[in-house]
Parts: sequence; structure tokens; C-alpha cells
Amino acid sequence: MTRRIVVYAILTVACLISIVPFAITFLASLKTMPEIVQGVLSWPASPNWGNYSQAWRQGNFSQFFYNSTVVAIAVVVPSVFLSALTGYAFSRFQFRGSNVIFAYLLLGLVVPLQAMVVPLFYLMRELHLLDSLWALILPQVALSLSFGTLLMRQAFNAVPRDIVEASVLDGASSWQTLWQVMFPLSRPLIGTLGLLFFIWTWNEFLLPLVVNIDPDYQTLPVGLLYFQQRWTSNIPLTAAGATIIFIPLIAIFLLFQRQLIEGLTEGALKG
Amino acid sequence: MQPRSPDLGTFGEGRAGVARPSPSRGSRAGSPWLPYLYLLPGLLVFTLFVVLPVIAAIAISLTAWNGISWDTATFVGIDNYLDAFRDDRFWTAFKHNIYLIPWYVILPIILGLAPAAFVHRMKLRGSRLFQAGIFLPYIMPGVLIGVVWRWMLNPVFGPINTTLKDWGFHPPTWLGDFTWALPTIGFIGAWAAYGFCYVVFVAGMQKIPTDLYDAARLDGANGWQEFRAVTLPGLRRELAVVLAVNLINAMRAFDVVKATTDGGPGDSTNVLALYMMNNLGGNRAGFAIAIAIMLAVITLAQSLIVLRLFGDSDD
Repeated sequence: MTRRIVVYAILTVACLISIVPFAITFLASLKTMPEIVQGVLSWPASPNWGNYSQAWRQGNFSQFFYNSTVVAIAVVVPSVFLSALTGYAFSRFQFRGSNVIFAYLLLGLVVPLQAMVVPLFYLMRELHLLDSLWALILPQVALSLSFGTLLMRQAFNAVPRDIVEASVLDGASSWQTLWQVMFPLSRPLIGTLGLLFFIWTWNEFLLPLVVNIDPDYQTLPVGLLYFQQRWTSNIPLTAAGATIIFIPLIAIFLLFQRQLIEGLTEGALKG
Repeated sequence: MQPRSPDLGTFGEGRAGVARPSPSRGSRAGSPWLPYLYLLPGLLVFTLFVVLPVIAAIAISLTAWNGISWDTATFVGIDNYLDAFRDDRFWTAFKHNIYLIPWYVILPIILGLAPAAFVHRMKLRGSRLFQAGIFLPYIMPGVLIGVVWRWMLNPVFGPINTTLKDWGFHPPTWLGDFTWALPTIGFIGAWAAYGFCYVVFVAGMQKIPTDLYDAARLDGANGWQEFRAVTLPGLRRELAVVLAVNLINAMRAFDVVKATTDGGPGDSTNVLALYMMNNLGGNRAGFAIAIAIMLAVITLAQSLIVLRLFGDSDD
């Protein structure tokens, strides 16, 4: 019984260490500057929600939210689609060079973005795509394919052979088998994959920082950096900006907690 | 619709006797080009936006180039790499990455392993909720983590220093202090990573067969001995993965540094990734990319060493 209490105490402390910085930031976002000075845990006389509307306007967050959302969707959907195709090719068919091509596609897991981000800038310049959302979407779709192929191949391998065979007997083409049988059967894993792609894209910082200079084409992490650089001394406003960024992420996390945690840890185990 | 005749029911590798060219489970579905057609779009995108830039990176790192017009690039061989080795600032940044390793790698492993070991083999109400709370920082963008901790550690108004001052201490300015800035970044990195380590370890411990513990108990092992003899060896694979992931994060550290100190004060928190970025201007594109390539090689070597040391047998 005492052990139980000790374990609960340890977990509570660990949990608080993770959460309290966010909670304190949220608290600061509701204060005025004089109230910040009064003390950390003091409750503001009346919550100063005005910080949020000010941060939202000053930080141009509506633009960043729009960009982040468009980029995330435009990365996740084609990434899942293309990964399903490549994963299916490796799972379903035996063909010449399959091992070599598979290894080639996994290259993206070992080469860090840092090594290719600068050439990507020049590539986008050649393609006249600098300062556009395309400059963020195309490389991230390509980068997603390594992990996506690995995961989709595994997902399709897990589909029982008889189901595939039955579908072939029904006269389904390989294309129909993929979309009418394999894909729906792998839905849980595909959901996790989509979530991982989403969170990786949403949080990406280096790529937009390098390829896009015009703030109109930046995503939230870079937007937050600009915002902080501009308003360093205004703590309530910076805190409101930070809260604007982490509240949606916490909401997504709470909704898809299990898949996200499992995906991110299992994903690491595979990589 | 095809008729379902029984002799069709056993296609595949075993029954090649039927008048059907079906050596594998795939080729019967159509032309031999089919698998390549499925691969084509993915391979095109991947080659254009991943492989091509990597090749270009290697090529550019062998040139002196102003980064603007292609015809100004001149081949200089490995000069950029040699320049880096002769450059004090490169070594300073490199040393800072090495310095971050205990913070980014060892500390989160210890902080994650300890609570995981306590929780292990206990049925706890709400353990999932705790897990989610502990894991939370890991899903946040690095810039946000930097902004949050800059406020937490604000020397004048931040909660940490106001509390310490209330208790009679004279805390440093942390991120603004030449001595403290780098350890503070290390601390932030450990904070962001330990929840991830915790979850990986909890999941790994659940996979250790319980009879190993029963056997240890029969041998009269106490909790600590049990941990050393059963739990730790059972976590070999998880330890290897966490080590590899954390090492990569220590060597590639960028987002948090950019958002907290931007390398300062002075050069006291400059790291390789940041140094690379700051060299992109001017005439030094080749030099910057050479640093990036060395970074890639270092992290790759590290991962291989870790995986080799921990002898990952399955897949």
C-alpha cells in the first residue's frame, strides 16, 4: 500500500514537471504586465483575454494557422496515398530489384534534413517555387515516403493471405484489391501514420525557415519565432502567442492520445 | 466475375502445375510492369526532393560558391572540410554538441527509467492519464518549448527566478549567462525528452515475460537485483533505440537553441546546425553544406555504433 502511494507521488511529480510550464504560460497570458510582477501563481484580477486578440492580430496568426493547415493536409493526404502504393508494391509483388528499391526508399530515414535543406532551397529557386506553400509541401511529402513505405508494407503484410486471395478470386484487379480490401483493413495503422505525418509537418521548423523568406508563406513554428523576436519584453503577449500554438496541439493530443503515443514510440523503434 | 472453380482455389507458390503463369503471389495479377507502376509516383517524388538534394549537397560541399548563380561555383575539392577542421568556431560548436549529450541522452534515460521501474508490474488506476501528461512535451514544436522556457527562466519576471529570490537565493540569468546558458539548454532538452523515454520503457517492460520475474523471486532477488538482472537486460532494444534517437537530437539540436539563445551570449551556445545556418550567407554555401554533411555522417555513425553495441537481433 505504501509502495502504491509512493508510485502515485512519483508519477504526479513527473506529470507536473511536464505540464506546469504550459499551465504557467497560460496563466501569464491572462495577466497584465503589472500582474506578472506580483507573483507567479497569483490569479489575475480579471482574466485579460484582450492579450489573445492582440496577439492574434499582431502575430498574424490567422495567416500562419491557415498556412500550417493547408500544408499539413497537402502533405498528409498524398503521403499516405503514395506510401500505400509503394508499400503495396513491396508487400504484394515479387519483382526484380525490389530489395534495392526498398533500401533506396529508406535512405530518407538516415539522411537528416539539415544535409538537404540548403540544396532544396536552390531546387525550389530553379522551380520558381520559393516563397510558396509548394516549397514546404513537396519536400515533406518526399521525406514522408521512407517511413510511410516501411509502415504500409508492414501493414499490408499483416493482412491475412486468404482475404487477398478471395478478393483475387472475385475478379478484383490489384488496384481494386488495394483500395477495397487492403486499405480498409489497415485503417487503424493508416490513421496512426496520418497522425504522425501531421504532427511532423505541423512542427517542422528548419525547412520553412530556409526555403521561405516571405512571412506570408510561413507556418506556425516560424511565426511564433517572429512573434517572440518582436515582443520579447511583453511577457503576457508572448505567453498568449505561445498558448495559441499549444492549445490546439493539446486538443489533438487528448483526442488521439493513444495512437500518437504508440505511433511515436513504435515509430522510433522501427526507425 | 470469374467462376469460382475449386482448382483456382489454391494458387500461389505451391501449385505451379496449373496452366497459369503464377510463380509468385503477384505476377498473376497482370503485367510484370505492374509493381513498377505502383512504385513510379513515389519514386519520382522521392528522387526529385530527397535524393537529388542529397547528391547536390555533396557536390556543393566540394565547391566555393556564393550561393547565387551556378556559374560562380568553382571546384575546390575537400577544402571546405579542411577549412572546418581549422576553424575554431566549428570546434566550439562541435564541443557544445558533445557537451549536450549527457543532458539530451543520459539524463532523460535516467529520468524516464526510474519512474517506469516503479510503475512496472503494478496495476494503477489512471496510469494512462499520467503517461499522457508526462509525454506531452514531446509532441510540441521546439520553438514553442523554447518560448515557454524563455518565459519560465526570465531573469526578472520568470517564475523560477522570482521563486528562487523569494527563498533568498541569487540565481543567474540562465540563458543570458555565459556559464549557465548551455547547461540550461541541456536541461530544456532533457525535459522535452524524458517523457518519450518513460513511455518507451513502460511499453518495453510490459513485454518482458513474467516468469523471468518469478524465477528471480524464487532465487531470492530483491527489487534492485530484480531490476538489474531481469528488467534492464529485457530493455536492451528499447535502450538502444532511445540512445540512438536522443543522440541524434543532441547532435542536430537547433529549434530550441534558435528560439532561446540563438547561439549566444557570444558563441557560448552555438551548435553545429546553427553554425551551418549562419554560414549560408556570404560566400560560404559550400562551407555550410560541408558542415551539414559532417553532421549527417556523425549521426549516422553514432546510430550504427549504438545499434551494433546493443546487438539488435530481430528485424
